[in-house]
Amino acid sequence: MSTEAPLNAVQPVAGETAAARLRSWVGYQPRQEVRTLLTYAIMAAVAVSTIGPFIIMLSVSLTQDVRFLLFPIDLIPRPFTLENFELLFARTLALRWLYNSFYVAIVSTLGGVFTSALAGYAFARGNFIGRDLLFYLFLGILVMPDTALIVPQYILLADLGLVNTYAALIGPWFASIFGTFLMRQQFLSIPRDYDDAARIDGANVFQTFWRVLLPQLGPALVTLAILRFMGNWNSFLYPLIVTTKAEMRTLPVGLGTVARAGGDAGLDMAGAVLGFLPTFLVFLLGQRYIIQGVSLSGIKG
Amino acid sequence: MSAASGIYADRLPQRARMKRLRQSLPWYPFILANLVVFVTFNLAPWLSMFRNALYKTDLLSHSEFVGLGNFADMFSDELFHLALRNTLLFALLYVPPIVAVSLIIAILVNQRLRGMKFFRSLYFLPNVTNIAVLALVFRRFLSPRDDAPLNFLLGLAGIPPQRFLLDFHQALASIAAVGVWQSFGFFMVIWLAALQAIPQPLYDAGLVDGAFGWRLHRHVTIPLLRPTAAFIIVITTIGALQEFGAIFILTGGGPVYATTTAVYHIYSQAFNFTRFGYANALSILLFALILLIAWLQSRYLKFDEDVY
Repeated sequence: MSTEAPLNAVQPVAGETAAARLRSWVGYQPRQEVRTLLTYAIMAAVAVSTIGPFIIMLSVSLTQDVRFLLFPIDLIPRPFTLENFELLFARTLALRWLYNSFYVAIVSTLGGVFTSALAGYAFARGNFIGRDLLFYLFLGILVMPDTALIVPQYILLADLGLVNTYAALIGPWFASIFGTFLMRQQFLSIPRDYDDAARIDGANVFQTFWRVLLPQLGPALVTLAILRFMGNWNSFLYPLIVTTKAEMRTLPVGLGTVARAGGDAGLDMAGAVLGFLPTFLVFLLGQRYIIQGVSLSGIKG
Repeated sequence: MSAASGIYADRLPQRARMKRLRQSLPWYPFILANLVVFVTFNLAPWLSMFRNALYKTDLLSHSEFVGLGNFADMFSDELFHLALRNTLLFALLYVPPIVAVSLIIAILVNQRLRGMKFFRSLYFLPNVTNIAVLALVFRRFLSPRDDAPLNFLLGLAGIPPQRFLLDFHQALASIAAVGVWQSFGFFMVIWLAALQAIPQPLYDAGLVDGAFGWRLHRHVTIPLLRPTAAFIIVITTIGALQEFGAIFILTGGGPVYATTTAVYHIYSQAFNFTRFGYANALSILLFALILLIAWLQSRYLKFDEDVY
């Protein structure tokens, strides 16, 4: 990408469309094919860097007696064994952590999506005293850096005797301001005619919400649910501070202690695979929704 | 809420007020759960933070009112000064690379070529994986042994083995690199949304005016991406100033405090040294610092200026 190349090096060829010219970022490079090839080469290299570590992780976790992870590496596990996983389950509370993580993530997701839908509906349709004040209060909380609240949150939970409880792990996830705003937007996109029709048929506000409006918001609910599940599963600092007993840890926090303890590479990678698979599977199934959700949050800003 | 109803009490006669209240009541159950959660986990801790900061307490036996003593202690806490410096350094090591890398990749992926969707998914994968998993893997990849993965690859390029996480000067940069690797896919998606939102007629107008290739992007694409750039810079900076997980697992604040950031220092003061009052005071400062930096950035970068 020499900056010396004159800008008029490529004259528009007769018949070349504007769209075709637009495809190229650096219009003065000589050949489209070379550029395409180069693009693929760069993209493949980046792809190897993003998935390579995960493939190596999986491979090492299924091999015996790997003390250190070293290159060059044989990607096919020889001999193939589940011994690392057996050791992990025997030596650590990994199964318990897995259960904790699933329990906390599922309850948090279902609860958070439901309360977001409820509140989003109220903010979209309701006209109640204090609505605007609350709306701005929520907006204010949304921009607060949450790590700054970690210490006072811990002190409050300690006062309430809630350290090492599921209530503490789930609590802050049982409602979502981002979710509330997202759902509010979704409810606003449904014409009020539906509400009016429902009211004429004798439905109250909850019935209108539950039977008429909510069923139309399936995709938004799925998007929010996936984002909440991922967010909760991957949270680290908060579950770290509200749990001090090993048996109450979530999987990422538990794995953090495994990593700090420093064992065999095989054992470490088995733990990593365990923490990797759940979000990977959700990602495989719900990719479309995740990328949609991220684009949404970006455009909003 | 009482403030709001107070306002209405002045303006509206008794009957209208009753009507408004009757109209409002059915909606409160819908926001009840939200209110309980935010009062318990945000508002109450936030308010108590300012009270706690005035005490010296280990939460068990000892609690003593010290006024602004905790804030005065910050001036002599050299580790805290180092932590602040490390925090800002980390933001500098993390924000420019991630903004640049994610934009470049987004531009590449945005081309109309086969298989781009597939690449997009592969790039997004690290972003949905939790930091403990990444740390377990990268602790091995970044090992100082000369046959560890990264050093082996460096060796192929003729570069001598590096100590990465164990090196005082490389540790923070190594963690920033892991962060960039993890998150660039996320910001790539945001850039893509912005790139695809640029109206085609603007390009056509540019072409009519005689701008091709790089020049077209220089005068059309880049100015139109500015609000997105501002958004991404602010978001990544806020994130960088709060980095914790990777530091906790990969380096534990070391070597010799080289990766002790403000959040790590707060964590350590509270949970390793049980100086909860002091940690509260530090939290207030961190809170103010993050808001200040985010405010300055959004002001300077003209966040929501109309570009069209």
